[in-house]
Amino acid sequence: MQGGSSGIGYGLKYQARCISDVKADTDHTSFLTGTLSLKEENEVHLLRLSSGGSELVCEGLFSHPDEIWDLASCPFDQRIFSTVFSTGESFGAAIWQIPEPYGQSNSSTLDCVASLDAHVGKINCVLWCPSGKSDKLISMDEQNLVLWSLDSSKKSVEVLSKESAGMRHSLSGGAWNPHDVNSVAATSESSIQFWDLRTMKNVNSIERAHVRNVDYNTKREHILVTADDESGIHIWDLRKAKAPVQELPGHTHWTWAVRCNPEYEELILSVGTDSAVNLWFTSASSEKQASERSTEASPQRVNPLLNSYTDYEDSVYGLAWSTREPWIFASLSYDGRVVIESVKPFLPRR
Amino acid sequence: MATTEAAPMDEKAKRMRDLLSSFYTPDPSISTTTSSISTSFDNINGPSFDADQYMDLMIKKSNLDVLLQRHVQMAAEIKNLDTDLQMLVYENYNKFISATDTIKRMKSNIFGMEGNMDQLLHKIMSVQSRSDGVNTSLFEKREHIEKLHRTRNLLRKVQFIYDLPARLQKCIKSEAYGDAVRFYTGAMPILKVYGDSSFKDCRRASEEAIEIIIKNLQTKLFSDSESIQARAEAAVLLKQLDVPIDSLKDKLLEKLEQSLDGLQINPEEASKLAEHNDSSKDEESNNEGPAKIHEDAVRGFSEAMRAYREIFPDSEERLFKLARALTTTHFENMELYIRKRVSAADFLGIFRIIWEDVVLMDEVLPEAALSDLSAEAAQVTLKQFVARTFSHLQQDISDTILKFDINQKEVVDGEVLKVVLEASGKAVLQGTADIFQDFRQLLDENTGIFVKMNDLLIGWIQKGFQDFFRSLESHFLVLSGKTSSSNETEGVTEGKSSEKIHAGLILVLAQLSVVIEQKVIPRIAEEITASFSGGNSQAFIPGELCRVFHAASEKLLQHYIDTRTQKISNVLRKRFKTPNWVKHKEPREVHMYVDMLLQQLEEVGKEVKQILPQGTFRKHKRSDSNGSNTTTSSRSTTLHSDKMARSNSQRARSQLFETHLAKLFKQKVEIFTKVEFTQESVVTTTVKLCLKSLQEYVRLQTFNRSGFQQIQLDIQFLKAPLKETVEDEAAIDFLLDEVIVAASERCLDVTPLEPPILDKLIQAKLAKSKDHNNHNTASS
Repeated sequence: MQGGSSGIGYGLKYQARCISDVKADTDHTSFLTGTLSLKEENEVHLLRLSSGGSELVCEGLFSHPDEIWDLASCPFDQRIFSTVFSTGESFGAAIWQIPEPYGQSNSSTLDCVASLDAHVGKINCVLWCPSGKSDKLISMDEQNLVLWSLDSSKKSVEVLSKESAGMRHSLSGGAWNPHDVNSVAATSESSIQFWDLRTMKNVNSIERAHVRNVDYNTKREHILVTADDESGIHIWDLRKAKAPVQELPGHTHWTWAVRCNPEYEELILSVGTDSAVNLWFTSASSEKQASERSTEASPQRVNPLLNSYTDYEDSVYGLAWSTREPWIFASLSYDGRVVIESVKPFLPRR
Repeated sequence: MATTEAAPMDEKAKRMRDLLSSFYTPDPSISTTTSSISTSFDNINGPSFDADQYMDLMIKKSNLDVLLQRHVQMAAEIKNLDTDLQMLVYENYNKFISATDTIKRMKSNIFGMEGNMDQLLHKIMSVQSRSDGVNTSLFEKREHIEKLHRTRNLLRKVQFIYDLPARLQKCIKSEAYGDAVRFYTGAMPILKVYGDSSFKDCRRASEEAIEIIIKNLQTKLFSDSESIQARAEAAVLLKQLDVPIDSLKDKLLEKLEQSLDGLQINPEEASKLAEHNDSSKDEESNNEGPAKIHEDAVRGFSEAMRAYREIFPDSEERLFKLARALTTTHFENMELYIRKRVSAADFLGIFRIIWEDVVLMDEVLPEAALSDLSAEAAQVTLKQFVARTFSHLQQDISDTILKFDINQKEVVDGEVLKVVLEASGKAVLQGTADIFQDFRQLLDENTGIFVKMNDLLIGWIQKGFQDFFRSLESHFLVLSGKTSSSNETEGVTEGKSSEKIHAGLILVLAQLSVVIEQKVIPRIAEEITASFSGGNSQAFIPGELCRVFHAASEKLLQHYIDTRTQKISNVLRKRFKTPNWVKHKEPREVHMYVDMLLQQLEEVGKEVKQILPQGTFRKHKRSDSNGSNTTTSSRSTTLHSDKMARSNSQRARSQLFETHLAKLFKQKVEIFTKVEFTQESVVTTTVKLCLKSLQEYVRLQTFNRSGFQQIQLDIQFLKAPLKETVEDEAAIDFLLDEVIVAASERCLDVTPLEPPILDKLIQAKLAKSKDHNNHNTASS
């Protein structure tokens, strides 16, 4: 389709999987990304989009002890972020703080705020409470869900509660409901589970196997988007969880991640192992399901795929919308290339 | 007066007339003189003529000669005028004198008239008085005669009444009820007045006779053997006898209503009826078919209605109701009938019968608007028939597809899929052709109602085809499990056993869609344009349908590949989830998941071979499609094989560097190309997707040396069989290498297996599988 000429690129030294929007940085559009290298010394890059929006500048380069499998920026403090890392044999998760006058030295070391060391198995992800001010975190390994309370000034974390999902369901990831801070969605082998954090119980689930990624729509309550290996992207209304509200074809190979735009509710981004980023337009909300059916019947079905960015050399795993400028997103392919693109030409007219 | 005089219009007379008229008309503008007002003072004929001025002008203007000449001329004119005037006066005077003479004569003639008149009056008076005299003298005699005449009449009546009973008896005997009733009603007023006194016996006798008559008439009315005509007459007579006939009417109409049941066309018998109808049409001799019977019954019914209508004019409403009820039940039964599968011929047969019935009834009761009613009902029925025919066809097609009980083994070994495809393709082609034939029959029918509905019918048929193909498409998608998501989840979670439809069938559906797109729809379009060239309704849009089916075929093909790769993906997932790759033991043999992988691919190959056409052999002409790829990837393979040869002696790090270098040199190989409807394309796509999945699974793990070696071994083993099955060798090579590269990247200690060991293990595996195969064939 279109070439990536519009995108702004940045190369990491090694392979990488995860990129995160620095939500707390209200002055700049910044992203954090970490490398995934088994044998080399891994790095965390703090990238900032120059004010003109034409250049991606490395604001800070920090060494990280192990390869990074997951990275999430703290929603209320731009200097704090969490990583999930692996030494190859074991997994760990920690919360880090970027040292004060950052950007000076070439490879300064990160301050470890706290280590989330309540896990034994393979840790999947760390989720920050999306409300913004709350200091709660969730870390997830294949069997357990742990709720933490962070005191960044005292540099300490405390386990609030811990619950096992059971041996059978190997959890693979999750998302924190932005509309209800007590609800977290977790993907497992055979279903999407919904946990109530007050009771730490699995209160609801959607039977759906091999969901790889899940994201809540921040603008529309009850709307959840999931990505599967084979069958593409599904949009769910949690009130009617029997069948998806809408299906999108996804990618030629696996759809790795999906992200709803924080501002424009209709826009969804997905990345896949077919080395592409797809921008989708979903007009259907659950209320309009009937009308959606009728449009399905109409001969000219509107193609939900707005654009496909295909200028990647390898599978794309990392994806993040910018909260500050919601028409900008960052994508990260396995070969360590960060590409910033703007979806401005595709924004819905209001 | 002047105008009447001038008969010969010579110059002189004209002038005369002009002069005179100017004299009589005071307004100069009306005068016919040619001179205008401005020159009036020198116009001698004008009213404003001034003699002095004229003279002055004359003198000034003219010389003596002219003046003299003028003078002579004028003198002559004056003389002329004088004589003219004299003539006029004389003529008028003459007329006046003759008028006076006439009046004088009239006066003398009137004398003596009055006396004659008086004489006449006198004579008339005397004539009148004489006639009065005659009148009075004859008056008495005349009165007497009249009296005698009245008495005679009375006597005759009395005689008639006395004779009445006997006469009635006679009538009863001769069954001349009509006369009897006439007699009786004639005598009725007298009997009423004097019945109690003088004619008591007579009245009683005649009443008895009348009672007999009434009874006879009633039995006649109810007896079915009597002709309708006779019954109607009886009813009329009864009515004349003031017998309360309302109850009779009710009874009769009830009877008529009951007879309706007999007239209904039973859905069960309808087909029989239709058949016989046809046969009786063919051979006129066969009159006793049920259709004939039915027709007679309806004829009788309509006759009865006609009679009743005459008998009971006030019962019209009820008859209307009855007739309508019959028509509606006819059509209702028809609807029931066509709920089952009915051929157009049968349908038409029934329709004809009904229409005949309606026509018969309509003749009797034109006001009941039966034809309108039935036209409406017929439209509904016909529409339903068209819709049902299409739904039956869809059912047929889907039955043909699902009829074959497919289990895994048959599909792989036999040619079941091929059979299914052929059968279902034939079902679609034949089915649509048959349906078209049927509709042609409907259109050729020229029963009144059909002619009216021809345009509508054409519209329905076109719309019917359009809707049919649309629903067929969605039906395909549902069958394949693509649209109903509940199926899909089950299929994924519980594995292949619980899947509603075999993956092979999805492939059949895909190919069937292609057949429909390329063969069926164009043919239907052709036939429609050929048959309904007159109709301008555009309900059938072949272009759109082709697009729909084209999209559907691609969707289904993709779905087939998806379901297939899903299965393989499950195999791979299990393979990579279970062992701890970091603590993997040294590879002893090629892992068995490779067998499963190859088996799955083999199944795909066999299914595809049954259904899809063989692609044009692309290996040789790939250069023209994407030449750059060919060269670069081939270079990459040579580079890679070089690398593999040397790698065992090299450090892992330098190898990694080298793979990166190799990557730099080769362009991105197009892994995800568009799937085509060929055997090779589908197989290649499946293999590519699987290898890509394999690579992704590898990337998620961390390996120790043995783990890496295991992967290396498995991949090395896969290489040969995969290349055999796949058209795009370069891409496969590339993807297999990618798996190795991914594994080496995720490996803590990259030390590849020595080639001899690799070889030995592979040979062992090959020998084992050959053994296994032999064993299998021997046992089976």
